[in-house]
Amino acid sequence: MRYGILLLGAPYSRQASHSALRFARALVAKGHILDSVFFYHDGVYNAARLAAPPQDEPHLMDGWKALHDEHGVKLDVCIAAALRRGLLNETEASRHGKEGYSIEAPFALTGLGQLVDLGLRCDRLITFAP
Amino acid sequence: MNLHTLNRSPADSRVYQQTLQAMGHDDQLLLIEDGVQGALPQLVRYFEDVEGRVYALKEDLEARGLLGLCADNVHVVDVDGFIELTEQADKTITWY
Repeated sequence: MRYGILLLGAPYSRQASHSALRFARALVAKGHILDSVFFYHDGVYNAARLAAPPQDEPHLMDGWKALHDEHGVKLDVCIAAALRRGLLNETEASRHGKEGYSIEAPFALTGLGQLVDLGLRCDRLITFAP
Repeated sequence: MNLHTLNRSPADSRVYQQTLQAMGHDDQLLLIEDGVQGALPQLVRYFEDVEGRVYALKEDLEARGLLGLCADNVHVVDVDGFIELTEQADKTITWY
């Protein structure tokens, strides 16, 4: 089956991100297709490229990247939720006159239309919330 | 048939009431994260209306030291069982 995941919870605040990553890994291990993960609300913090969690703790961002690299999972970040939280890619940073940038590929800034599309093209859409 | 997931303990949050109101006759309920506390014998009475259709996530029970302490009428499933429940259900609804 084709699955999509909607993640609303911030990493390391509540369990949502860990639950979603565990579910995602089990999905692909079971032979399902995980089309995309859509990061929305505080879930956008999962895409922060400067995140540096302690080495003896699970690295959520690297976990998402590995799913992209190994299984082609798309990592879509809601642009409106991200920009207002200080999460910008290089293009948006330059457009807003900011010096640094905090999101990079494979995380992609997209609109809510992508979430609607994901719901339409997937057999199952599973939400993980804080 | 729909699957409902709930990540709050009935001892902490009243969202379980909305979950129960929204559940159809053959819908199933999966307790995850802190929600697994609802599978304990002391709290499972909150879910008596949907008895036999309550599941609890094994990994989250284990992380809280609650594995083996669930009420008898709660089905314990691991993350693969969670996926199977989502396969069987038309939709999965998340309560939090």
